[in-house]
Amino acid sequence: MDNLLSRLEEVFRLVFDDDALVLRDDMSAKDVEDWDSLQHINLVIAVEKRFSIRFATAEISRLKEPGQNIGSFRRLLEEKLTAKA
Amino acid sequence: MTSEAVETELLLSYQQSDAGSRAGLFPAFLSNLKSLSRGGEVEEAAAWARRAVSLDLDYSSLVSLKKLLAVGHSAQRKKAVRLAVLGGPTTIQLVELLRIFLEGAGVAADIYEAEYGLFRQEVLTPGSGLDRFQPQIVFVATSSRDVARFPDAAMSDGGVEQLAQDELADWLRLWEVVHSRWGASVIQNSFDISPWRVMGHFSLRHKASRESFLEQMNHRFAANAPPYVAFHDIGSLTLEYGAREWFDPRFYLEAKMPCGPQCLVPYAHSVASIVMAISGKSRKVLVLDLDNTLWGGVVGDVGVEGIQLGQGSGEGEAFLQFQQYAKSLRERGILLAVCSKNEDHFARQPFEQRPDMVLKLSDFSCFLANWRNKADNLREIAERLELGIDSFVFADDNPAERALVRRLVPEVAVPDMPPDPAGYVQAVARHRFFETVSWTKEDASRAQYYELNARRKEIAAEATDLDSFLASLDMKARVEPVNRLNIERVTQLVNKSNQFNLTTRRRTVAEVDAIGSNPDWITLTISLNDKLGDNGLISILFSRKEGNTHVIDTWVMSCRVLQRGVEQLALNELVARCRAHGCSELKGVYIPTERNGMVRELLSSLGFAAAGNDGDTTLWTLSVRDQYSPWSTHIQVEKPDGQPS
Repeated sequence: MDNLLSRLEEVFRLVFDDDALVLRDDMSAKDVEDWDSLQHINLVIAVEKRFSIRFATAEISRLKEPGQNIGSFRRLLEEKLTAKA
Repeated sequence: MTSEAVETELLLSYQQSDAGSRAGLFPAFLSNLKSLSRGGEVEEAAAWARRAVSLDLDYSSLVSLKKLLAVGHSAQRKKAVRLAVLGGPTTIQLVELLRIFLEGAGVAADIYEAEYGLFRQEVLTPGSGLDRFQPQIVFVATSSRDVARFPDAAMSDGGVEQLAQDELADWLRLWEVVHSRWGASVIQNSFDISPWRVMGHFSLRHKASRESFLEQMNHRFAANAPPYVAFHDIGSLTLEYGAREWFDPRFYLEAKMPCGPQCLVPYAHSVASIVMAISGKSRKVLVLDLDNTLWGGVVGDVGVEGIQLGQGSGEGEAFLQFQQYAKSLRERGILLAVCSKNEDHFARQPFEQRPDMVLKLSDFSCFLANWRNKADNLREIAERLELGIDSFVFADDNPAERALVRRLVPEVAVPDMPPDPAGYVQAVARHRFFETVSWTKEDASRAQYYELNARRKEIAAEATDLDSFLASLDMKARVEPVNRLNIERVTQLVNKSNQFNLTTRRRTVAEVDAIGSNPDWITLTISLNDKLGDNGLISILFSRKEGNTHVIDTWVMSCRVLQRGVEQLALNELVARCRAHGCSELKGVYIPTERNGMVRELLSSLGFAAAGNDGDTTLWTLSVRDQYSPWSTHIQVEKPDGQPS
């Protein structure tokens, strides 16, 4: 499994309190139970902390927008990590 | 039910480690607690989770403990403090964390959260959700965005002054309504002030600038807020965690969050520490190790001249700074004690022989230097000081000692200490262990009382019997009702006393005020001084008239004046006043808690007859007709103006 995806999965498991949660690129917000606006903010805060990155204001809610999924989120994260390195 | 293997050693290892090592252990710690909880050990899992709640955990990890923590004993729930959070910005994340920190501190809380931005409506509208909730504490979680008026850049100084007064009047009214309608205490945020000044450095000289106006408002708040308002110092958070983090605007813009995500945890922690201060749960004692904590090196090895201390080296000055910090705490009334692995005479030498030591032996209320383990020594210190060990903070440079204490006495707070002594002050101060919502002269001299007590014990040892000892103290008491001058101290004592406390009923300033002005109530306060010094106001009695009976509602006394005759004196004074009220009977009730076992037999020892019980609560009665003969004591009662009666 892709290393970044598995690290992301750890964060999701912590935030959604679900040790069995398995992340796939084609998943979106509606596929995960309890993914409401509070949990979304919790998720973004957790990802920023875990990967020591900052999302731009417009990127904070992007993952909840139509057409977005874990795959696009992961690519955004990759870009940020590359820019940081 | 399938039993999963829970690794207790891993849980202990998490509990006893410093934050750096804990971070790596957290996932395993959490999954073990979940197994424990699934296996039916819900309470035990909650206890581990409570001990894990820490300023050092990040937001997501703290929130992941939420479910485990949400296990309250029903008895605890009944006593839960009703806390309302009224946000300017959103408070969702803040409330989650507040709940977690309070759970961690063992404070059960019912929390009411208002819709963000509606704090004025909630307070001012009768029948609002807040009104129905009947809060005991109202946290007004506002920011500088909630200031209603700002001056125009060209406004005259006089105009700014008027505007500031008008703005202040609105807030005063808000607090007044909270207080008069529900008798609640208020926690009011100070305004956060951006460091990006519109007029640059000149902003602070121009009264009409935004930043200058906010500074003025904060000063006015601090100067004008009544005693029931605790003023939460947002400025200290922006300083400590940095304005760039605090004012990170992204999450305000997207979700109306009050501060940057990195500041949520310290923000909630800081508010929780004030709630704990209001609930009388702040810590009271700082226990210090010696070698490499108060000076560099091991005094037993290098001798009193060889220890590193003070001028001449940066590191030596760092130890002095830490001593200065401890000294300042002691001067405001926090007790200091020593717990050191040392020969006693070596341990004392630096204090006796080095003039450059800031701390003196007389600054310590208890000094234990020996070779026993530190957990036992801490318990011993708690016994000698007659204070709960859960009011202790322990500072030690040695990670092994910290681990031992965290493992064996988890009630003691043991902050991580960095390898560099330059970081010691921050390492302790960042935890806000010693918050207080009031400060009186008695606080300043509290540490002294304990020293005096130690001297009294010496005298007691010399005196051939207790009677002659008490007579030798030349004690004088002042007995007064609750009044404007003592109401803060009275409220503080009512809320802080745990051991000598017959009913453990907590009261706000407003409630005490209402009792004091109700003619059906008797209020007694006793201040005691003796030839060794002034003990201050040390005992309080409230009693309520019911027909021809008086019922003792509250009786608290500071433990440092136990067995001096104050209890007997208090009863004599109460009986005299009951008779003046035309009552023939005095009733008392003892409500047991984990902490007040020492007064279980108080009423019986004072001649009350048992009158049944209600569960663990015991009822007592005493006739106050002619057959009551006053107890004799060695305390002379003075009239309030200082003349003996």
